[in-house]
Amino acid sequence: MEQRPVNWGRPRDDIYGAYDHNIHNAAKMPTVHTQQPIVTGTSVIAVKFDKGVMMAADNLASYGSLARFTDQERLIPVGKDTVVGVSGDISDLQYVERLLEQLEIEENYDNDGHELKSSNIFEYLSRVFYQRRSKMDPLWNAVIVAGVEDGKPFLSYVDLLGVTYSSPTLATGFGAYLAVPLLRQVVDKEGDEDNLTEEDARKLIDKCMKVLFYRDARSIDKYSVATITSEGAKLEKNVKCVEMNWRFAEDIKGYGRTVA
Amino acid sequence: MSLQEALPDSALHSTASSVPIEHRFNPYSDNGGTILGIAGKDFAVLAGDTRNTTGYSINSRYEPKVFHVGDNVVVSANGFAADGNVLVKRLGQQIQWYHYNHNKELKLSSCARLVQHMLYGKRFFPYYVHTILAGLDEDGKGAIYSFDPVGSYEREQCRAGGAAASLIMPFLDNQVNFKNQMDPATNGTEPHPITYLSLEEVLQLVKDAFSSATERHIQVGDGLEILIVTKDGVRTEYSPLKRD
Amino acid sequence: MFLTRSEYDRGVNTFSPEGRLFQVEYSLEAIKLGSTAIGVQTSEGVILGVEKRVTSSLLEASSIEKIIEIDRHVGCAMSGLTADARTMIDHARVESVNHDLYFDEPIKVESVTQAVCDLALRFGEGASGEKRIMSRPFGVALLIAGIDENGPQLYHAEPSGTFYRYDAKAIGSGSEGAQAELQNEYHKSLTLKEAELLVLKTLKQVMEEKLDSKNVQLASVTADKGFRIFSEDEMKVLVDDLEASMVDEEMELQQ
Repeated sequence: MEQRPVNWGRPRDDIYGAYDHNIHNAAKMPTVHTQQPIVTGTSVIAVKFDKGVMMAADNLASYGSLARFTDQERLIPVGKDTVVGVSGDISDLQYVERLLEQLEIEENYDNDGHELKSSNIFEYLSRVFYQRRSKMDPLWNAVIVAGVEDGKPFLSYVDLLGVTYSSPTLATGFGAYLAVPLLRQVVDKEGDEDNLTEEDARKLIDKCMKVLFYRDARSIDKYSVATITSEGAKLEKNVKCVEMNWRFAEDIKGYGRTVA
Repeated sequence: MSLQEALPDSALHSTASSVPIEHRFNPYSDNGGTILGIAGKDFAVLAGDTRNTTGYSINSRYEPKVFHVGDNVVVSANGFAADGNVLVKRLGQQIQWYHYNHNKELKLSSCARLVQHMLYGKRFFPYYVHTILAGLDEDGKGAIYSFDPVGSYEREQCRAGGAAASLIMPFLDNQVNFKNQMDPATNGTEPHPITYLSLEEVLQLVKDAFSSATERHIQVGDGLEILIVTKDGVRTEYSPLKRD
Repeated sequence: MFLTRSEYDRGVNTFSPEGRLFQVEYSLEAIKLGSTAIGVQTSEGVILGVEKRVTSSLLEASSIEKIIEIDRHVGCAMSGLTADARTMIDHARVESVNHDLYFDEPIKVESVTQAVCDLALRFGEGASGEKRIMSRPFGVALLIAGIDENGPQLYHAEPSGTFYRYDAKAIGSGSEGAQAELQNEYHKSLTLKEAELLVLKTLKQVMEEKLDSKNVQLASVTADKGFRIFSEDEMKVLVDDLEASMVDEEMELQQ
């Protein structure tokens, strides 16, 4: 007979076996890792030009195929001369945004006028992304860091795997297939950017964003363009795709508005 | 009667998801590229192409992957670029720590043993890379050490690694180690003697190997960066490769 | 004097107003109570010598171990609370073996010494959050002898965590007299054989008991043989040599 009051009412150990204390000691919730992105942003594109870097990303946050939020800003300025463009999961984007904000705040505590350089911010982000992938709990993004450092343009990429690379032209997601070929027509190898003016770069970006809007089903015709030169970062918002021609849509048959 | 026997065949092999599809984050990717190290009498070279890829995309046409990590040691870890970069960076820091702790240069053989431990330390979540170390040994002779992803290593005269390793290695066997060849001077009765190649010969061999690999492998191309180690230090030579 | 001390001599974490750590200083006193140990470095190698206090005729002299191997190329002699030395030598051995494992080369003698001294400081908390692992400083000093790419070397490691390199060094109860003797007799061109006799002669001078082959022990570290403790037979030969040379010297003096 079980004498201790704490065990009254329990099934008898000799018949039903002892209580499994793992049940009592179990964590309240299982550890959860990001297994897939939920609300997502599509491509970020960027190109170097003679006096700096230009980067663009549209303002759509998709929930699967649903265009869920149409005014999501995906270009994050950090410090005076760096902009971070984020594609992929939007909640992870917001987490990265907070990390970068915290980083900037802590950097400014000293109040010594020292600012983080683009390469410092990039190194920090690539460490965070690699560490998270190594914990099998990735931040589901592909990020482009654009800026000007010591008078020279800086442009680098890091993604959810911690893979990093730099190039005078960069793009994430669909942009890698649709925009990079257009960008490389103008800036193919290191040094080619010296022959591209800010004005021409701006036109090139518009062209790429238009092509992306034509062909990427998860895109929208409203985007932001960041231009970073040694004068600092400038963010143009609510830029619209213009002079588009959707006549061809009339001829598409078999699905959509004309079934037959 | 078991459940499987009881059910009709169609119930088990139905198109509806009878077995849930496992969806798991894959922490690795392949960033292509290839590397090649050759040791000479008093020098060693370690070369790598500068293309970085994922799938069919060229991420960058110039992303160096061969590095001088100090003490006349050059290294490249080819495969999954994120792991490769982290390994190289950590090795550089380890060499710095060795200086602080022991106040002397790290020998190449010691560096090789260190790399083994860094790789084996992640035996159950490996760095997905083929690593090659190049430098001079204690006698000033050129040396190449090559590693598998979990740290097995050996010293060799030459080694190719990465995407086009299987294309380049047989070429090296033939041109550097004269494998399966007889010495013409002995009327084909003795094996071809192994002799040291000059730096000029080696550089030409490296360039030929890479232009050939570029021709046949889609992940190889854009540029060739060769790091040359001699007693006077490390020097870098760049030459273009086809960009298609 | 003692009254002022007593306020500051308990904790190892408290400086006295004069800036002293009494517990550390006391640990150095413990060494002065220990049996004498001597090390002499020559260009051929290093000789270590210790006095063994055979306090009873029933005591098995060979069970007194005051010279110990750390690695094939490093050894040490100790003086003070010899039980404490076990911890230090264990640490040194692990450090040495690990170095060989991680770097495929024998560890430098200085690095072994540094490792021992790092441990000696662990009576307090480390600067980077290391836990304190001992209640008090070690009560033993080591003479670490070894050979590496920089040739034969002799180091003296103290419980305070400091170490110095010496050509010749004596520690323990007879250290004052012995060190003075070494100062007089040492010269750079000493051979290994001469160093053996110098160590033995110096020990003989400072020992209370009469020196014989049982109450002293010698060891050497050389390039070709590494660290080696002299056998009883070798000791006998050496002690005889010493006596012969003493007789010679006396003869010379008489003439």
